[in-house]
Amino acid sequence: MSSSSSSETHVFSDGEWVSVTQVCRATQIDVAVVVELADLGLVSPRGTVPDEWQLPARELARVRTAARLMRDLGVNGSGAALAVELLEARRELEARLRVLERYMRAGVGPG
Amino acid sequence: MEYRDYYKTLGIERAASADEIKKVYRRLARKYHPDVSKEPNAEEKFKEVQEAYEVLKDPEKRAAYDQLGPGMQSGQEFRPPPDWASGFEFRGRPRRRSSPETDAQFSDFFSSLFGERGGFAEAEGFTHSGRDHHARVDIDLEEAYRGGTRMLELRRPQQKSDGTIELVTHQVKVAIPAGITDGQQLRLAGQGEPGHGGQPGDLYLEMHIRPHELYQLDGRDVTVTLPIAPWEAALGASLTVPTLGGPVQMRIPEQSRAGQKLRLRGRGLPGEPPGDEYLQLSIVLPPADSPKARAFYEQMRRELPFDPRANLGS
Repeated sequence: MSSSSSSETHVFSDGEWVSVTQVCRATQIDVAVVVELADLGLVSPRGTVPDEWQLPARELARVRTAARLMRDLGVNGSGAALAVELLEARRELEARLRVLERYMRAGVGPG
Repeated sequence: MEYRDYYKTLGIERAASADEIKKVYRRLARKYHPDVSKEPNAEEKFKEVQEAYEVLKDPEKRAAYDQLGPGMQSGQEFRPPPDWASGFEFRGRPRRRSSPETDAQFSDFFSSLFGERGGFAEAEGFTHSGRDHHARVDIDLEEAYRGGTRMLELRRPQQKSDGTIELVTHQVKVAIPAGITDGQQLRLAGQGEPGHGGQPGDLYLEMHIRPHELYQLDGRDVTVTLPIAPWEAALGASLTVPTLGGPVQMRIPEQSRAGQKLRLRGRGLPGEPPGDEYLQLSIVLPPADSPKARAFYEQMRRELPFDPRANLGS
């Protein structure tokens, strides 16, 4: 059985801010966890009280990954924040390594 | 449907203690977690491990599962017995809502026994808004450049006319705007979990751009390694180079060096402002594989005063 539909799509732009309520809904976590991640420096909210905070939209993925690691692996906030930062560093290194490998291959020539 | 041996999934004995089960789960979850793992099929393996743990960590569910019989083999044809779980308290109890992203992804075997079709139906009269769902979408760089539409297949629970719940495949058409970047988020209003007397949740999509064999992506900028001949580097040249929008002519200045980056403004991913394309020069030596080529190299050695190791200071 299947059905189909289309709906309004919102694209989060780089400079966009998202309310903490929306972040919590989207990542299935409690505001307290966002506060913990902010204390750890993993996310950089603006606003005075946590319930009215806003977060940069590009940090949604960080919160989501941290939330998943905490839920699935039983790590605490510090552990999740550390893992997220290391994962990001790994991704960056892999991208740089791909550039270098490509450059080396081109220099050596085919074969 | 096929029987699933949850003990085998975790690689433990049927007599394993709760503590042992937890330890093994933690180890396997870390090994296969899709956010962390480099293992092939990590996501699939992780789901299997999670499903097994979801049952075996709960003493009641484990006892009910064990009742199905130790003689069953993974993959064996299986139907839930008609009096399934009748002696257990979880029958009719509101289902504890587990991890939202894996909820609808467990096997038919799991949902027939422990899902909403099994003994874990939600209590009547309970209303709630649907939760937000999340999915990762992998696209090619070309698609990110041009934009396009994608049909996504999602599995979600739906109530049939006789009151039972089944998983149906739901297709959602997604318009991918031109110039989407790696890791960018999209929200599709109302395409998450259907509400139960409340609003449906939203669907969040995280876009991932696959590594491209030619272009290296950094934000909206792309870098291409451009192999050139020594005389093109030395004397300059007019070359045809690839860009996402198609080949363009460009001038290599004379006295160019290996590793040097030349910029083609605005030839990266579209946006405000659009990204640039960088061409990183790589000088390729012609092979000295014929008498004529060797003669050329001999002549260069004689006539070009050149010491590549001048900076080594020996």
